[in-house]
Amino acid sequence: MSVVSAGIGTADEPAVDADPTLAGSGGTGSGPRPPRRGATRGRATPVGGRTASVLLWVYAAFALVPLLLMLSSSFRSNGDLISNPLGAPWPLSFDAYREAWTTGNFATYFGNSLLVTLGAVVLSTTVSTMAAYALARGRSRIFRWLESLFLSGLMLPIHLAILPIFYLFDGVGLVDSRMGLALLYGASGVPFSIFVLTTFFRQLPEELEEAATLDGASPWQTFWRIMVPLVRPALATVAVFRFVPIWNDFLFPLVLLRDDSKYTLPVGLTQFFGENATNYSAVFAGLVITTLPLIALFLVATRQIVAGLTAGMSK
Amino acid sequence: MTTRSSRSRIALALGAGALALAACAPSSSSGGDGGGDGTTLTVWSWRVEDKAAYEKIFDVYEKAHPGVTVDFKPFKATEYNKILATGLAGKDGPDVPQVRSYGQLQGTVASGSLVPLDGKVDLSSWDENVVASAKGKTDGKLYSVPLARQATVLFYNKKLFSDNGIQVPTTWDQFIAANDTFLKKGITPLAVGAKDDWTLPIVHEVLAGSRFGGTDFQKAVTTGQKDFTDPDFVASVEVLKQLEKYMPKSVTGVAVTDAMTLFTSGKAAMYPGGSYDLATLQKGNPDLEVGVMQVPPPSGAPSGATGTTAGWADGNFAVNSKSPHQEAATELVQWMATPEFGQLVADEVKQISAVPGVTYSDPVLKQVADDYDKTGSPYLLLTDFRYGSPTGTDLLGKGAQELFLGSKDAKTVSTELNTGVMTWFKPTS
Amino acid sequence: MNRRTGLLFVTPALALFGVFVLYPMVTAFSYAFYEWQGTARGGWAGLENFSALLTRAPFTTDLPRALLHNVLFFVGTMLVQNTIGLTVAFLLHRRARTRRALQTLYAMPYLVSPIVIGYLWTLLLSPTFGPVNTLLTKVGLESWALPWLGDPDTALWVVILVSVWQWIGFPVLLYGAALGGVPEELSEAARVDGASNLQTFRRVTLPLLVPAIGTVSVLTFIFAMEAFALPYAFGGSTGNPAGSTDFISLLFYRTAFDSGAPDAIGTSSALATLLFVVIFGGAYAATAVLRRHEKRITS
Repeated sequence: MSVVSAGIGTADEPAVDADPTLAGSGGTGSGPRPPRRGATRGRATPVGGRTASVLLWVYAAFALVPLLLMLSSSFRSNGDLISNPLGAPWPLSFDAYREAWTTGNFATYFGNSLLVTLGAVVLSTTVSTMAAYALARGRSRIFRWLESLFLSGLMLPIHLAILPIFYLFDGVGLVDSRMGLALLYGASGVPFSIFVLTTFFRQLPEELEEAATLDGASPWQTFWRIMVPLVRPALATVAVFRFVPIWNDFLFPLVLLRDDSKYTLPVGLTQFFGENATNYSAVFAGLVITTLPLIALFLVATRQIVAGLTAGMSK
Repeated sequence: MTTRSSRSRIALALGAGALALAACAPSSSSGGDGGGDGTTLTVWSWRVEDKAAYEKIFDVYEKAHPGVTVDFKPFKATEYNKILATGLAGKDGPDVPQVRSYGQLQGTVASGSLVPLDGKVDLSSWDENVVASAKGKTDGKLYSVPLARQATVLFYNKKLFSDNGIQVPTTWDQFIAANDTFLKKGITPLAVGAKDDWTLPIVHEVLAGSRFGGTDFQKAVTTGQKDFTDPDFVASVEVLKQLEKYMPKSVTGVAVTDAMTLFTSGKAAMYPGGSYDLATLQKGNPDLEVGVMQVPPPSGAPSGATGTTAGWADGNFAVNSKSPHQEAATELVQWMATPEFGQLVADEVKQISAVPGVTYSDPVLKQVADDYDKTGSPYLLLTDFRYGSPTGTDLLGKGAQELFLGSKDAKTVSTELNTGVMTWFKPTS
Repeated sequence: MNRRTGLLFVTPALALFGVFVLYPMVTAFSYAFYEWQGTARGGWAGLENFSALLTRAPFTTDLPRALLHNVLFFVGTMLVQNTIGLTVAFLLHRRARTRRALQTLYAMPYLVSPIVIGYLWTLLLSPTFGPVNTLLTKVGLESWALPWLGDPDTALWVVILVSVWQWIGFPVLLYGAALGGVPEELSEAARVDGASNLQTFRRVTLPLLVPAIGTVSVLTFIFAMEAFALPYAFGGSTGNPAGSTDFISLLFYRTAFDSGAPDAIGTSSALATLLFVVIFGGAYAATAVLRRHEKRITS
C-alpha cells in the first residue's frame, strides 16, 4: 500500500510518449508492478470530456498571458510602450535587445547564476539524499531527533537571519565569494530536500536492501547502486524545485557579493533596472533574456520529472 | 532663512575653496594614505542611474590627486539600506558611503560606523536645514557632507498649458480654474500616484504646503507651541481631498510610475513630485517641455503666506570608521564640500547642490533653486519627524491613502499623525 | 542500517545545515534578547524587545494586522489552490497526450521571479492603463472595473490570487503524482458498482489523497507565514495601500532597515523570533495531525 503512492500506478500510457526507452524497459521491469497495463488502457477515458479540455486550455492561456505580454513588450520601442503600454508588437523591433545585451553584462551574470545555482543544487541534493536515506532507514531514536531538527529548518525564515549570515561570512572571508553563496543556498535547501526524499525512501520496500545485503553489498553500494536509482524522480523534483528560487533570489547575492563580475542574474538585472528606470522596453528585453534560459532548462527537466514520476519504479 | 545676498555667496564660495585647499595641503605631504602610492577609494551610492555622471566627477578628482583612484559603486536604491547596514559592519565595506539623512542617519551614527567630521569640514555657512541632515541627533556632531538639496516641485507641461490658453496660475482660484479646464478637455490635471504611500507627504507639501504655513509652522511644532491637530494643518490635509477630483480615477490604485507616464505622455498636465524626478521625466520623454511652478496659497492660508518650495538634504557622503584609508577618504569628502564639486553635481548629476553659490545651466533646475532660496521651507515631516518610529512621513502617507479611500477624514488623519509622532517626539522648548 | 553508518550518512548534511542555517538563525534569535545601538550590541535586555512589540507604536497596530494578513493569505491560498489544483489534476489524470504540455504550461509562472510577476500584474491591473478593466468595461461589467491594487478590500485578494496563479503548477504536479498512485483497481471496482466519476473521486480517490493534501497544506502554511517577495513587489515595504497588504516579513524589513531606529536590530530580531514561534507552532500541530492520519490509513 505505501509503495503505491511512490507513483508506479500510472505506468500505463504516458511512458510511451514520455520516453521511448522507458516504454521498452518497462516491459521487462523487475519491479513489483501489477500486470494491468493492457487491461486499463482502452477504458480509462479522460474525465470531463471536451468541456474539460477547453477549460484546461483556457487556464493554460491564463497562465501564459502575462508572460506573453512581457515578450511582446520587449519587441516594441520605448516611446510606443509609454504612449500605449499594451499595444501590439508590430513591427517587431529588436533595438531593446541590442541595447540590453550591449549595456547589460548578461553573459557574465548568466554564467555566475549557473555556477552558483548548479553548485548549490548539486550540493544540497547530494548531502540530503544521503541523510534522507539514513533517516528513513535508521531505527535509533537519534534519527527521529535529527529528522525533527532538519524539518524544523523548513520553518526557519532564513532570509530574516541576513545580518548574522553576513557576520558569519565576513568572519570567515566568504563575502564576495560565489562559493560562499552556493554553500549558503545549498544549506538552505537541505530541509526541503530531506523532507521530500525521506518520504520517498520510506515508500521503498526494505526487502530490496535485505536482498542486497545478503548478496554482500556494503551500505554505500546498496545506497548508491540500488536506492538512488529508485528515487530518481524525487531527485529531479527536488532539484528543480530548489533550482528556481535560488536562480531568482536577489536578496543574498545583493548583500553578500561586491564585485560586478561575480553578480548573478537577478542582481545584475536590478542594476540594469536602475540604469534604465524609464527605458521600459530595454527592461522587458532584460527580463526575457533572464527568464528564457530558465524556461528552456525547465522544459528539459519536466520531461525528466514527469517521465520519472509516471514511469516510477519501472526501471 | 535661506536668502543670502550674492556678495555673501561669493565670500562663502571663496571661503569653502580656501578651506578645501588648506585641507589638501597637509595630506599631500603626509605620504601614507593620501600620497601617490595608489590608493583606491570605494564610494557606495544608491544612484545607479547617475553612475556615468559620478565617474566623470571623480575623474576630475583623480586628475588633481595622482595616485588616488575613486571606485564608484552604485546599488539598487530600494535595497541600499540593507547593503549599507551590512557593508559598514563588515571588513571590506566602502571608504566613502553615501548615507541617509536626518532621522534615518541615526542608526548608522549609533553603530559608530562613521567618522565625525567636525573640525575637518566647515559647513557653518550652509543652510542650517541642510546641515541638520548630516548630524547625529544625540551628540550634535557632524557625520557627513550633504550632497544635494531636494525640493518639492509642481512640474507642468508647457505645451498643454499654451495649447489650452492657460497661464501659470498666481492665485488659488486661477489654479482651480486651470484644473477645471483640463478636466473638461479630458486631460488629467494632476498626475498623482497614490498607490505608493511615500509620495503622498511630498504631494501634500507641493499642493498644500502654504496652507499650513511652511517654515512658521515648523518652528511652532518643533518648539511645542502647535501640533498636527492645528486647524491650519487639518485644512491642508483637507486640500488633498478637495483636489482628488483632479487626480486620476481610483487614485490609490495608480502607481507613481503610472502617474509619471501619464505626465510624460501628455495625458496629464501637472505632476507634483521632487526635483530628483526631473532627470527621469526628461529621459522619459526628451521632447517634453517641462516647467515648474509653485502652487498659489489655498484660500484660508495663514496671512502673508506665499507659495512654498519645501526642501530637504539628501545623498550625503560620509567616511567609514573601518576604512583603512581614512585620511584619503576624509580628503575626498572635504572636496565634496567645495564649490568645484557642487558645480559638477549641478552640471552632471542635475541636482541642486547642497554647496552654496552654485549656478545652474538647466533652466528648470535654476528656477527650483531660486524658488527654494526665495521661499524655501523645510519638508517638515522628513526633516524633523523621522527621528523615531512611526515616522511622520509613513503616518501621513498611509493617512492620505485612507483619506482618498474615504475611510478617514482630514481631522482623523491629522489626529492619528499627531498621536503617532508624539509617542517619541520631544519639542525643543 | 546500523547507527554508526547512519550517522556517517547524515553528517555532511548536518554540518552544512548547522553552519549555514542553524547557527545564523539561532544567532538572530539571540539578538532579540540584547540591547542595540545601531549594529553595536549592548547589554542583556531580557524580554524588553518583545514587550516593545506589544506596547510600542507602530507595532501595536501593525503587528496584529500583519499577522492577520499572513493568516488570511494562508486560508485564501489553501481554498483557491486546493480547489483548482485538485480539479485540474483530476481532469488531467487520464489525458496522456496533453498532460505533460499542460502541466508544464501551468508551472511556467513559477519560473519567473516574483519581482517581475508583481511588475507585470501591476501593469495588467492598473486603473489607468490596465487591460483587465478595459476588458471588463467593454463586456458591460463596468461595476467590476475596480482599482484592484488600490482598494484595501481587494488588494490582499489580488496578492493571494496572483500567488496561487504563480504556484499552481506545484499542487497540480503533486496531486497528479498522488493520483497516479491510487490503484486503478479501486476506482474500477467503484465504477463497476455504478459510481459516477465524481462519486468515485469523492469516495475512493480523495481519501487516498489526504497525505498529499496534508503535505501541501503544511508547506503552504510555512510559505504563507514567510510571504515576502510577492507582497513586496506589489505594495512595497509598507504594504500599500494603507497597509492592506502588509505581512510580518515586510514589517521585519521595515523595522530592521528602514526605520533608522537605533534599536532596530533588537526589535526586528524579536519579530523574527515571534514569526518562527508562530510557524513552528502551526506546522508542528498540523504535522502531528497528519502523522496520526497517515498511520491510520497506511497500517
